[in-house]
Amino acid sequence: MEMFAQILSSGIAVGMIYAVIAFGFQLTFATSGTLNFGQGEALMLGALVGLTCVDMLGMNYWLMIPIVCLFGMVQGGFVELIGVRPAIKIKSEFGWIMSTIALGIIFKNVAENIWGRDALPFPSPLPMEPMEFLGANILPMEILVVVGALVMMLLVEFFNRKTIYGKAVVATANDRDAAGLMGINTSLVITFSYALSSLTAAFAGVLIAPLTLTGAAMGGALGLKAFAVAIIGGLSSGMGIIVGGLILGIVETATGFYISTGYKDVPGLILLLLVLAFKPSGLFGKTAIKKV
Amino acid sequence: MNIRRHIFAVAAAAMLSTGAYAADIKVGVIGPFTGGSASMGVSMRDGVRLAAKEINAAGGIDGNKIVLVERDDEAKNERGVQIAQELINNEKVAATLGYINTGVALASQRFFQEAKIPVINNVATGTLITKQFPNAAENYVFRTSAADNIQAPMIAKEAVEKRGLKKVAILADSTNYGQLGREDLEKALKTYGVTPVTTEKFNLGDVDMTSQLLKAKNAGAEVILTYAIGPELAQIANGMAKLGWKKPLIGSWTLSMASFIDTAGKNGNGATMPETFIQNPPTTPKRKAFVEAYLKDFKPKNGIIASPVSAAQGYDSVYLLAAAIKQAKGTEGPKILAALQDLKTPIDGVVMSYNKPFSAADHEAIKAKDVVMGIVEDGKVEFLNAEDATAKKK
Repeated sequence: MEMFAQILSSGIAVGMIYAVIAFGFQLTFATSGTLNFGQGEALMLGALVGLTCVDMLGMNYWLMIPIVCLFGMVQGGFVELIGVRPAIKIKSEFGWIMSTIALGIIFKNVAENIWGRDALPFPSPLPMEPMEFLGANILPMEILVVVGALVMMLLVEFFNRKTIYGKAVVATANDRDAAGLMGINTSLVITFSYALSSLTAAFAGVLIAPLTLTGAAMGGALGLKAFAVAIIGGLSSGMGIIVGGLILGIVETATGFYISTGYKDVPGLILLLLVLAFKPSGLFGKTAIKKV
Repeated sequence: MNIRRHIFAVAAAAMLSTGAYAADIKVGVIGPFTGGSASMGVSMRDGVRLAAKEINAAGGIDGNKIVLVERDDEAKNERGVQIAQELINNEKVAATLGYINTGVALASQRFFQEAKIPVINNVATGTLITKQFPNAAENYVFRTSAADNIQAPMIAKEAVEKRGLKKVAILADSTNYGQLGREDLEKALKTYGVTPVTTEKFNLGDVDMTSQLLKAKNAGAEVILTYAIGPELAQIANGMAKLGWKKPLIGSWTLSMASFIDTAGKNGNGATMPETFIQNPPTTPKRKAFVEAYLKDFKPKNGIIASPVSAAQGYDSVYLLAAAIKQAKGTEGPKILAALQDLKTPIDGVVMSYNKPFSAADHEAIKAKDVVMGIVEDGKVEFLNAEDATAKKK
């Protein structure tokens, strides 16, 4: 039982990390039908900028968060302007795929040149002594990851539902052309959704950095896992993202323990294949009809 | 970017140092200067630079200057292969020093073997490295680091014989280094009649070791034996602290990497590993002079060399090579090979005194007696056994 609680708690912490990044995928997909494949790199940049603030400038962890969020917004807006907007303008189906991947690689290279390719430790704002909960040991930082991720997602939801700007986002997401006719500047909304998605990734970066190591290479694997989560959960469902993240995180940890640590990554990918085969819109996604 | 900068730097250095009368002796230096193994690679390179500088300042090898051709293999096998070919065909190096990663060494050194150019592995420890070409008439691969088949028995001895811990768990990464080391470790444990209660594996960059550690804990392990590199080792130490499961951590020499010690912090205390060189206290005058010169030239953080073992072995490898070239009276590969296998002058190195370190049959400079156990204490590596610190045999 204790073992199970431990596996569950570790799986939830890992899963929520995936979920926050996947959440960013969903934000841009809703407004523009495009994804930022450099989402992992946005996370990495956020974490490294955060590390620079905390480590070099001696800033308080909590004070650093708004700066990192701001940086994330600028970075996301940049990606949209440089990489995605031209592709949308010429109605290219796939141009944005290559350009967001390319920008991701460029960001990684830039980060390697600025911060080096070493994995760096990130000072933890909370004590690193574990707390006991139902027989499982949990780090305060892991709880912060889960709580922080949920709070951030709720804030974005609140923004979309309750504020006028949020309603513009939702309107664009529902029907871009109609929203445009109603006087909404839809391309600005799309830029904004990219800014928001990179913000969430950058925030996720500083959230998880004290648990993992920080470095130019940290984004790749996480971005890929998050993409799997987005597909499993469904790109159009916020709920699905959280559930998808938790499923993948728990399945991975449980496989490592009950089957073999050598096969840790396999079940998550099998799950991905199953979802694609039987419910391509994701476990919680709405089925979209696409005319070809 | 990096590569180009290196080429410019080396080219500029070559132009500046070319004397009117003397020829330059090009020596390749290969290692990961960036990435997860960089603390080893950079320390090795700096040790090599230090020795080359000293030799050149003292007049070079019979008036010929050593010119280092440094290349970053990024710990990637394919980069290593490219660089090997470049150094052989374009740079025409006389010999090559380096290799930090066992996998890169195994993938790349065959090119030097075929081109009859000696390679002195000064950090990589995979047992297979010096035995990769058993059927070749002559073996061009040498080594100045403690091979895994020296380290693994020491790790097993420390755990089973000295501490009486018979229930061992092995945690090794999925690279060539981790898996070849795991085999050596299992072999060494077998001599004590010990079978690991569990053997777990993980990938580079894995952030969560909970499942591996839970399996070891569940299997009743009394000690964790490791074969991995710094960042993942730190995840193991931190993961154990999280689970509140305190067991000794004994593993290969990589537990002395800065990326382990710095990242694990106090969770790394007590980690025990075989070492050929420990920075503090310097036990011989040679060691003292080396540490002082290194700190003066490269100013490492907090006055601690990121990987003292790599720096010392890198430094010694240059002196061994220089002695061989001097004795060979030429830079042709077969001549250097013959000289290395029969070095006439003893060399007072940092790691030890080398007296005929190699022979035709034995390309390993370091033997089991030359290696001591180290332990991590508050951010640095200390001697585990006090007698090693005071009366280290030369």
